[in-house]
Amino acid sequence: MAGSANKLRICLAASSGGHLTELLTLSDCWRQHEVFYVTTVPVTGGALRKSGAVYVVGECNRQHPMRVLRVFWRCLKVIFKERPEVVISTGAAAGCMVCFLARALGAKIIWIDSITNIAGLFLVQWPELAAKYRRVEYVGTVI
Amino acid sequence: MIFLTVGTQFPFDRLVRAVDSVLDEGLIDEEVFAQIGETSYKPHNFESVASLEKRLFDKRLKEASAMIGHAGMGTITLALENGKPLLVMPRLKKYREVVNDHQLAIARKFEAYGHVLVAYHEKDLPDKAGQLKGFVPTKRRTQVEEVARRVSTFLDGLCESGQNLPGKGNC
Repeated sequence: MAGSANKLRICLAASSGGHLTELLTLSDCWRQHEVFYVTTVPVTGGALRKSGAVYVVGECNRQHPMRVLRVFWRCLKVIFKERPEVVISTGAAAGCMVCFLARALGAKIIWIDSITNIAGLFLVQWPELAAKYRRVEYVGTVI
Repeated sequence: MIFLTVGTQFPFDRLVRAVDSVLDEGLIDEEVFAQIGETSYKPHNFESVASLEKRLFDKRLKEASAMIGHAGMGTITLALENGKPLLVMPRLKKYREVVNDHQLAIARKFEAYGHVLVAYHEKDLPDKAGQLKGFVPTKRRTQVEEVARRVSTFLDGLCESGQNLPGKGNC
């Protein structure tokens, strides 16, 4: 696993579409680290595979509890198999699940632009939000 | 060609139907092509597909003179990056088109910055579609470098402090 020195094992988790687009604007941050991806639909996988394994867990939302369970189970399997040291996520539901699961196994969380309070680094993209919550930072927008 | 895209996760019948009826009334003189996802309404005035591979999607995007879409960040970003005038109609929670009203908030913000045109309701669509051709979106300035730097600093901090990370955590 976490092989050479100075390398973190990072899970990049984001739903397909806008969430993933936002996350990928930060690609430079993990160039020196070992990464894998968790996303929600297969079509987005292609180009990502060059830089790390891609796990497709499916879409879900609160209106479909069975789908939520299925996606949760898939996330669980991925996290137990890969054991990331850090998760960087922009959401949505699947990204959040990955954060909670990995956090439970000791990983550090970087959450960008939404509301969970488990993150070690929590960045929002509207200054008004940073003013409203403690431990939440605004340093700019990525999109 | 006007490229209509509504995302692929949820149906968005309201927008696809509204664009179809704008064409019925002859209010748009351009051809429309659409990616409509799980939308069950099948338009009769233009060609539509459920989803497009990224490469084909990009090709349509490049060819388009303007875009109409839901108020998803993915769609908005693509339009801004490619300098395409975009008219959005936010998906609304009350119609079960999305889980919350974040698209409404995004639409308001981005409209105020002059990045997009917004039709908050189907009845606004014909008028806004008429403005689309002459609409020049304001360029968006982002701070990717600043955000990236902050994330990198955090990661470097983890490496240096060797905090009890799972696995070996041997930075």
